[in-house]
Formats: sequence, C-alpha cells, structure tokens
Amino acid sequence: MTVASKPAPRATIDLWRWAGRAFLAVMMLFTLLPMVWMLLTSIKSGFAALQFPPQWWPNEPTLASYKKLLDPTSSVGEDFLRFFWNSLFVSTMSTILSVIVAVPAAYAFSRFDFPGRKFLFFSVLLRNMFPAVVFLVPLFILMRFLGLMNTHGSLILTYLTFGLPLAIWLLKGFYDNIPYQLEQAARIDGASRFQAFLLIIMPLSVPGIIATAIYSFIGAWNEYIFAYTFINRNDRLTLPIGIQRFFSESSSDFPGLMAASFMMSVPVVVLFLMLQRYFVRALTEGAVKH
Amino acid sequence: MAHVVLKNLIKTYGGYNAVNDVSLTINDGEFVALVGPSGCGKTTTLNLVAGLTSLTSGEILIGERLVNDVDPKNRDIAMVFQNYALYPQKTVYANLAFPLQMRKLPRDEIDRKVKQAAQMLDMTHLLERKPRELSGGQQQRVALGRALVRDPAVFLMDEPLSNLDAKLRVQMRSEIKRFHQDLKATIIYVTHDQLEAVTMADKLAVMSGGNLQQYDSPAKVFANPVNMFVASFIGSPAMSLVPLTASTVDGRAVLAGAEGWTLALSPLNARKVQRATSSKVVLGARHSTIKLTTSAVPGAIPAKAYTVEPTGDVTFVQAMLSGAIVNISVPPDVAVEADQPIWLAFDQDRMHLFDGATELALKAD
Repeated sequence: MTVASKPAPRATIDLWRWAGRAFLAVMMLFTLLPMVWMLLTSIKSGFAALQFPPQWWPNEPTLASYKKLLDPTSSVGEDFLRFFWNSLFVSTMSTILSVIVAVPAAYAFSRFDFPGRKFLFFSVLLRNMFPAVVFLVPLFILMRFLGLMNTHGSLILTYLTFGLPLAIWLLKGFYDNIPYQLEQAARIDGASRFQAFLLIIMPLSVPGIIATAIYSFIGAWNEYIFAYTFINRNDRLTLPIGIQRFFSESSSDFPGLMAASFMMSVPVVVLFLMLQRYFVRALTEGAVKH
Repeated sequence: MAHVVLKNLIKTYGGYNAVNDVSLTINDGEFVALVGPSGCGKTTTLNLVAGLTSLTSGEILIGERLVNDVDPKNRDIAMVFQNYALYPQKTVYANLAFPLQMRKLPRDEIDRKVKQAAQMLDMTHLLERKPRELSGGQQQRVALGRALVRDPAVFLMDEPLSNLDAKLRVQMRSEIKRFHQDLKATIIYVTHDQLEAVTMADKLAVMSGGNLQQYDSPAKVFANPVNMFVASFIGSPAMSLVPLTASTVDGRAVLAGAEGWTLALSPLNARKVQRATSSKVVLGARHSTIKLTTSAVPGAIPAKAYTVEPTGDVTFVQAMLSGAIVNISVPPDVAVEADQPIWLAFDQDRMHLFDGATELALKAD
C-alpha cells in the first residue's frame, strides 16, 4: 500500500505517456498505410503500378480506373455496378430484417417472463459458439433443399442467422436500461401496450437500433465465404466475390482492383461517419444513472 | 373524482401472497396513505388499482365501475412514480401533453390545459426543457403536472418524495397536501415513511406481510393501534414495548417485570389484562407518556439510564426494562446521565396493553 500512496515521479508518468503515444502512432500507421497505398495505386496507370522501385506518388495521377468502373457501358463497369447493387441489396435487406426481428425479440426477452425464456435466450448464443465455416456445408445442403441456391435470399437468410444473436443481445441490454416505469406511465397516460412501446420505448432505443443496424450491415457487406459458396451466377455475385474474380481474371490491373476496393469501403465509411454519434451513445448509454 | 373500493384483493406470486385479502373503501376526495415497511404489499396493492399488475382474486371498483379487467389506460387514473418516469426524449410541454394527445383532445384544448397545469405548479418557464435539464424537485413537479392535466378520477402516488433530499421532501410534502386540498382529489399514496403518511393523509392503511393491519385516521391509529406491529410502526420515536407477566398481589392485578418489580394496574387496565390468552402481556408506552424522576416516587419503577440523547428541544433517555429498551422524553433542562438510577411512572390512561401471544391490543370489553 505504501508503494501506491507514493506519488509516481513525473518523469515516469511522462515516459509512459509517450510510450503510449508511440504505440498508438505505430498502430495507426499499421492500419492506415495499406489504405493509403490502396488509394495511391488506384490513381496510377497500369504500368506505373507495377514499376520497381515503386513510385511513391504517381507521376501522372489518373482517375481512369474509377471512370472505367463507373461507366455502365463498359463490360467492367457493368459488372462492377451490378455487384455493387447486389451487395447493397443483400446488406440492406439483411439489416432491415435483422432490425425487424431483433427489436421485438430483444424487447420480449427484456420485459416478458415466458416459459423457456432463459433457455431461448442462451440458445440464441449457441450459434456464436461455432466458427461460421462449420455451418458452410449444412447450410449449403439446406439452401439447395429449399431451392435457394444462386439467390440473394440464401445470403440474406444466412446473414440474418449470423447477425441476429448479437443484435438481440445488444438491444436487450439496451431495453434493460430503460426503466419499466416509463411504459407503465405511458399505459396509464392512455397508451396501449403496443403504443407505449412504439411511442415511448422505440424512440429511446434508436441509438441501440442504429448500432445494431451498422453491425449487421457491415457484417453482410464484407461477407465472403458464404457468398462464394452459394452464388455461382455472374449476375448475382456480391462485391467481395466480384472483386476477387476481377483480380483473378485480370491480375495485372492493380489500379482497377484498388479502385474497386476503395469504392467498396465507401458505403461503410459513410454509414459509420453519419451514425457514429449514435453508435458511441449506444455503447455508453446506461453507464450512469439518469 | 370518485371513490375506490377494494374487496378482498389477493395477489399471489408463485404460492406467496404479496397482497393477502385486502379490503378498503376510499371515499371520494379522500387522501389515503398505504404505509408499511418494504415488502409489505403496498406498492403491489397500488399497481393492482392501476391495472399494471393482474389480480389473482378480488374486486376493484373505481366510482361504480368494476375495473378488474379494464386496461390501465381506461381506468381514469393518473400515477406519479418514485423515479417520476418522465419521458426523457420529450420536453416538459410534450410530457404534459402526452396523456391528452393519447385521448385525442383537440390541439388548442391540449395547449390550454398544459399551460393551466404549468401555471398551477409554477413551471411555465420550464416547458421547453427536457427532463434531464431539471432538478429533482422540478422533475417531481412535472410528474405531478402530468398526472394533474388529465383531471383523473383517482391519483395514485408511489413514494413520490423518496428520491428527494430531506429539505425538498418537506417542501413537496406540503405542496402535495395543498394540491389535495385545492383539488379535492381522491389520492392513494404509497410510502414507507410513517411521518409522511401521518402528516399528509386523511386515513392510514397500515400494511405488513401483505395484510392490512389497520385502516383509520392518523390520530386514531396513533391513539389506538390494533396490534404491536402498528404500535411500533406509527410514531417516532417508536412506542416502547415491554414484555411483562400478569399476576396478582394482595388481590390486585399487577404486571411483573423480569427485574422483580411490579406495576399495579388501574381497574380498566386490570380488566384488559384479564382478557389476555396467557399471562404474557406486553406493555406499550410512547415516550411522552412516561414520567421520569431522578428520585424514588410511589408507584414508579426503578431503572437505570442506558443512553441519553439530547436533540435540542427535547432529550431522549433510554432505559432497559425486562430486556426491552424504553424510550422516555424529558425537557432539556432535566439533567440525566448514563448509568444513573431513574424512576419511571407509566400513565395508566395512556398506556397500551397487548396480548403477548397474539400481539393484538387488549380491550376492556
């Protein structure tokens, strides 16, 4: 105890502080440099991208790769835009469905006492105990049985099963922190049980719902292995698979690959920047008594 | 406003009776406090009246209407919660307007009623604020206002003051009392604070273990507690309860203490003691009804001061009698010290006698 009560020498504190900053700086470089390199490569010409020693800053920056990708009349652009649209559709649908299912489920787990509540709640977590790959073959067989092979439905259904457990857990924690007296007050003030949920509880849980939505959108947007297994038709591929094919078919077009990768990261970044205010609130909400 | 009748209310949670056969009639315009220690069933009883908890058996009437199966929103009640339960995302104005919007009142009428309630509670300047920007007392006032705008048949209040600090609590206590007097409102008020109940309510419903112990005006509950629980719960400091043995000395009824002393009983008290189911009798006395002297007096019981607590305008002296602590109040100028021999004289007309076995108050007839 005597050690703890002695004030640490100033130099030691500074040393730790600077060590911490240095560590953070290294980590930041580690995560940012690949992205910077991706951006730089995407604006190089095909020849410049393969040069050695590399050009750190391209001599002739060009947006040709982006133009090609976004031009619906070129074959590359047509494919890319279609993959992009497919990914957007699959991710948005699984996000919407995930919210539609998770919100009432989490609310029920938080508020109602029904037979098998505990068992159900923990069985929701059961899925997360296994690595996703374990489910690849069973789900493949299941999807074929259901006639969902090569459809976006198979992916939406799969992403839903993977995203829901955490979504329900996250939201349940959120609802647990909303005092039940609020609903009681609303019900006495003239609301039905459903109105109390809709008018009072739902607006309060918006940060939680947004956090859940971002989580499931990103999960679906980046998913590779299931999309690779379930979808074979070129016109139904999602972006991760599309980009991978793009890479294997035209392996020399690094600027094109990098431009496509950059475009793929745009929706996630935009979504996150727009909603991060809510996301942070969701993670800190309920930390203190109101 | 309306009267409320509770008939044989029972609420069971998995074989445990949280509310056990409670019957009450609350008259129109009456302020009734449900009071008791935590877990006594008072809040459950209130939630039953509100319709937030379903009844196991019994009947609840608000006005002439049986409301057993009526939704809370259709019971014509308003409720103030311990944590106020203000809608955090709404402004004060929207909080007050919400119950009216739910009743689909026209916009201008809502506006008029909200402003009227705000004026009455002196919070017109707070209308545009969010609940988190208000102090505890202001939040509590908004909660009261939200109940008020509705002009309900019955107000239900669940420990509305217990989250406030002591000073504010006293202030809000008189505000709620004034509110009741002005509105002639029927109020059912739940509290664990007997002082709050005694000072505010027209009638007390003292509860313990899910049972209604006594239902009467504060003065009557104070003067004639029906059993030892009520006697010790109502009044501060609590009534002293001394376990004694009934016997006779020279043909006169007396109560004997464990230390060997005897207390001769008046004829009325002797008749009461005769009705006890055994010789075990508990003597109850409030601090102000015991006379303390520092020298022997005929009829007074010798004891020893245990602790002395000066509070300024009155000094409390505790003494041990028959293994129980007896609380006596004396004027501050009476000098008593711990371990000093003292003599205690009990007022025969104001003492309470309880059956030691059944814990019920003994009656002369």
